[in-house]
Amino acid sequence: MRKIFLLLAIIALSLIKANAQSDTATKNFSISGVMGVSYEYYGLDRKPVGWTGFTPRKPWNQFRFNFTPTMQFGKNFSIPINFNFSTKPTNFAGPYAGITKQNFTQFVTNPMNSFGINPKYKWAELQLGTQYLNYSELSTGDIGVFGAGFDLRPGTYYIKFFTGLSQQGINFFTGPPQTNGAYKRKNWMASIGKAKEGKYDLGFNFVKAKDDTSSVTTPPTLIKPQEGFTLSFKGKAFFKKGWYAGIEGAQSIYTKDLSLAKDTSKPSFKPFIEGHASTIKDYAAEFNSGKKTKNYDIGIKLKYIGAGFQTPGYPYLLPDRFDYTLNTRFNAWKDSTGNYKMNVVASVGKRINNVSNNTLKAQQFIGNLNWFTQFNEHFSLNVSFNNFGFQAPGGINPYGIKNVSNDLSINPTYTWKNDKVINLMSFNYNYSKYKERDVLTGLITNNNTNSFLLTYVPTFLQKNISPDFSLMYFQNKLPSFQLKLITFSAGVGTTFAKKKGNLRMQAQYNYSKTNSFKNNNNIIASANCDLKLSKKLNWTTFISTNQFKYGNEITPNNAKYLESNVRTGFQYRFGQ
Amino acid sequence: MKKIFLAIIILLSAFNTDAQLSTNLVLSANPPGSLFDWGLKKEILSYVVVNQSGAVDRFLIKAEIKLTDGTVIGNNNLAKAQLLSLGGASRVFSASDVIPMDNMIFSGKYKTSLDKTGKLPAGTYQLCVRIVLPGTYQPISEERCRIFNLAAYQLPIPISPLNEQVLKPELAQSAITFRWTPVSPIPNYPVTYRLLVFEVLENQKPMQALKSNMPLLNKDVIGTTQYIWQPQLGWADLEAKNKTRAFVWTLQCLDNMNQPIIDGNVNGDGISEPIIFYVGKEKN
Repeated sequence: MRKIFLLLAIIALSLIKANAQSDTATKNFSISGVMGVSYEYYGLDRKPVGWTGFTPRKPWNQFRFNFTPTMQFGKNFSIPINFNFSTKPTNFAGPYAGITKQNFTQFVTNPMNSFGINPKYKWAELQLGTQYLNYSELSTGDIGVFGAGFDLRPGTYYIKFFTGLSQQGINFFTGPPQTNGAYKRKNWMASIGKAKEGKYDLGFNFVKAKDDTSSVTTPPTLIKPQEGFTLSFKGKAFFKKGWYAGIEGAQSIYTKDLSLAKDTSKPSFKPFIEGHASTIKDYAAEFNSGKKTKNYDIGIKLKYIGAGFQTPGYPYLLPDRFDYTLNTRFNAWKDSTGNYKMNVVASVGKRINNVSNNTLKAQQFIGNLNWFTQFNEHFSLNVSFNNFGFQAPGGINPYGIKNVSNDLSINPTYTWKNDKVINLMSFNYNYSKYKERDVLTGLITNNNTNSFLLTYVPTFLQKNISPDFSLMYFQNKLPSFQLKLITFSAGVGTTFAKKKGNLRMQAQYNYSKTNSFKNNNNIIASANCDLKLSKKLNWTTFISTNQFKYGNEITPNNAKYLESNVRTGFQYRFGQ
Repeated sequence: MKKIFLAIIILLSAFNTDAQLSTNLVLSANPPGSLFDWGLKKEILSYVVVNQSGAVDRFLIKAEIKLTDGTVIGNNNLAKAQLLSLGGASRVFSASDVIPMDNMIFSGKYKTSLDKTGKLPAGTYQLCVRIVLPGTYQPISEERCRIFNLAAYQLPIPISPLNEQVLKPELAQSAITFRWTPVSPIPNYPVTYRLLVFEVLENQKPMQALKSNMPLLNKDVIGTTQYIWQPQLGWADLEAKNKTRAFVWTLQCLDNMNQPIIDGNVNGDGISEPIIFYVGKEKN
């Protein structure tokens, strides 16, 4: 690990030197991008001693490094580098969850770190190290893989290939802290097709992942070694007058347990994947079409994911569903200068879950509307409305699920000014009604939320100071529960050191009260300071403190905590 | 705890003394929808065999999955079944011994459903198990049957904040209301929804943040599908730089044993498809 830091330091110093020379010497070589280091401290002091009701939410100390220069050699050759890494593993979810000590290969493939280099010559790109590649919506796009590959685009054709590891083998450990563990997973992905920017894109995508069953000595308990292969065809076309259409169809073959025997009666796609007893095969499809113009859009989107569809490139994709959405945006009401005063964005859609199961199908309805009007130079109004409904039959319960949520938000803003100050006053009212049916009793709970927010922002034209103030009232009410929140917040910003520095401070007081319990008090103060040390070097510091004192709603009464957070870092910018 | 559980099962099984082997079958009434996942947790299926006489050396387990009217829809292939032995006075067999999925034969629409989804169609079934002798398949224990309900559980879908929604900092600094759909259909135990919020740091992809950061919020909510979070985070840097801060949120569903609900995704962690939201200035 130390060798990596040393090597990076040498490379960084060389690039800084090269950067300085490139500024003055030659146009054949240039560098852009940034590099930096930051340190974050987190502190938590809880009282009474021994009380653990509030848990830490950041690592106590963490160093983060970023090194992302792009070196340009002449007109056609460039080397973008993307290194981002931290010293301490903090994985909570996913295969590395709970890991405290990592070896070199685990460090390199841990999702918290990225080490990528992508040398590019004209239409040929070499992809080395960590890459988050997005081929399409149904093949791959959500996983980071450490390996090697290429992206070639001769003329209107493209050929992409990448292979590597998305996770190293990690043994299950009972803890504490418990390490979930993972099998080493190797990935392959490829794409071949023809595309022309703004005209069309037709291609095939292939994605495969396979776990190495021998990569762990103490296997994970809640997962078996898996193998998956997905093949997709995608097509996109853009027509005259803003019309467009896109389609993708995909087939997945997925083995949930590689340790079970091979089975010739199960789905296979040789030589890419061979069927085992637990192998399943299913399909997914997506279609979208619409029209986009400067002043209005209209579009429709359909998506079907089969119950057995699983692609290694989207491990959290929810299967067994059918979604359709209709959305629109338009401008209306021209003013004297020809600009539109009104903007409306709306969408309506439905999602059906459990499509494969006729008796237990669940349905969701989603509708959104956002309507903005600038009446004149002083006054504007934004109104938004969201409706959401979810319904499912009872199954083993006497009553089915029925949840309905309605949210209305009204936000008028008024500005006025004189020679010295521009004033902005904004009011925001939100009303939310959430109905939830108890599946055992059939009783419907009405959950109502009201919130009011008043914001005042004066901008002084002749003074180097920019304050803002806001006051908020929030109330959430259920039959046997009531939460009230009042927040007052004030902030102030200024520049210093001949405008090389920016300082902003904010203070916030929160009063919260649940039912008839004694209220809780909370004070948060934060400050941010940016200072330009030179033309290329910036120093940023952020400090915040959060003091929370409970009333008597929890035991022990009057418990309190003080949370403190300091982040400071330097960023060096390559190039002009 | 496990030892007590085992002792109770063995004691219960000792009441049956008609056959050469006494047995007991313990099966969760609502096991995971995918039969391939039954072997992941011991509490889903346990088959206890007690050899009181000591006469039986080797045997096979015969398993049949039936509809409630007794129609057999799947069984293990005894000709290829693994020869088992007790290795002592008693032994507890798990799902991978009783219904080894690489030796189960299903028919008709049940085979089609398994090949496509890994699950049987939702409904009520019964599992019947007994011990037989190798070769002759002569029964040497009583048949034990247990009824179970299979449902294709779906993990919750985060609904509020919406995907890629931008929240005003002045509102978000006090309270952010999270809502989600319940596990569907609702199981017969209260589901614990572990609400997780991660900050997406600079230079991070949302999925990287989910898999590598400590959660800013890690709150267990039992039974209900709403939580109001008071973030208690300083926003001075947000205002100073006039930028948005990205967050990713999801839910991890836990059963009544505080174990992840393993239906719903292939990761076995009960984590829903994550959603991204921002705090800061509205995007133009």
